[in-house]
Amino acid sequence: MRNWLGPLAFGLILAVATAWAAIGAIPYGLMKVASDRLGQSGVNIMSYGNLANPDRQPVVRPSPDLAYSSCPYDLSAGPLAINVAPVPGRYSSLSVFDAATDVIFVRNDVEAESKPFRIILARDGQAVPAGVEVIRTGHDRGIALIRLLLKDPKEIGGLNAARRQSSCATVTKLK
Amino acid sequence: MKSWHRYAIALVGGLTFGLGAAWALTNGGLSNGAIANGPWTTSLGFGTKATDPVTRALVARAGLLALPAKETVYWSATTDAAGAPLDGDCRYRLSGKPLDARWWSVTIYDEAGYLVANPANIWSVNGANVALDAKGEWRVTIAPDKPADGAWLPGTKGQPFHLTLRMYNPGQAFRADPVQAVLPQIVKEGC
Repeated sequence: MRNWLGPLAFGLILAVATAWAAIGAIPYGLMKVASDRLGQSGVNIMSYGNLANPDRQPVVRPSPDLAYSSCPYDLSAGPLAINVAPVPGRYSSLSVFDAATDVIFVRNDVEAESKPFRIILARDGQAVPAGVEVIRTGHDRGIALIRLLLKDPKEIGGLNAARRQSSCATVTKLK
Repeated sequence: MKSWHRYAIALVGGLTFGLGAAWALTNGGLSNGAIANGPWTTSLGFGTKATDPVTRALVARAGLLALPAKETVYWSATTDAAGAPLDGDCRYRLSGKPLDARWWSVTIYDEAGYLVANPANIWSVNGANVALDAKGEWRVTIAPDKPADGAWLPGTKGQPFHLTLRMYNPGQAFRADPVQAVLPQIVKEGC
């Protein structure tokens, strides 16, 4: 039995370390999966997703009342510009999540006074254009998500043009 | 048995146990929250940077891309008012007064948190599409078959279900005391 003391202690320490590492890795892994599923159009570009239904559920607990537009981003090539155009009279919000799933920015239509706005998402230390609103993050990757509330699923068609006023793109010019 | 055999067994056992523990510890779903109100539970820490690694992994698994509480409060129910698990074979009355929020909705999911196909293509009710009666209350029937009258949220026969109540931009009174807030009732009427 004494022969097992060393292996048991080793196994126990390994189990704790593995659990800790796995718990830490779960958010990053799931975020990667969500980015791949949401960004049908690619990275650093806005995808205007269809309404969630049993055949289309890119993330767990999707709301069937919301039109989600998503921009999976990667800041390694430069900051990201996000343009949001609220639709008057209905709830909408922009939320930005980093690779660890933390929310780093939220603004809804009321806070934006129903006016279009533009933010620049940049890594710590990245050069950004002058005079713009900047959100800093410690991660390259993540997802920017726009939620637009529908009173009825049938509204989706009529809101297509309005949704496409919102966009995202890598900043190439600093002036 | 040689010493390295014992270490090899410990290696496999440790890795397996560690991964299993990580999965089990983060399997509580949104119902593993800090606040309970009748059958509804939530955690106001969702979507903030302050959450610990276990909570963050829990949220990532149960409600990835969830908004912080100031923007949206997500309540989860897995049982009725009497504490019995929600059963797709049964008929429930979901009712209440308009909620203290800019917008609210109740969505029906399977146990894993996904929408299930139904012939009516209805998965949620919301503040804009429920009618109020003379007492100012709304009422929805959750059942596998369409009720004779009133709003319907289809359940799926042979399957348990979960409900998620979303409150967008909850009011200040609600946020000050979410435990005392009046939330929708979930009462089983028959099976």
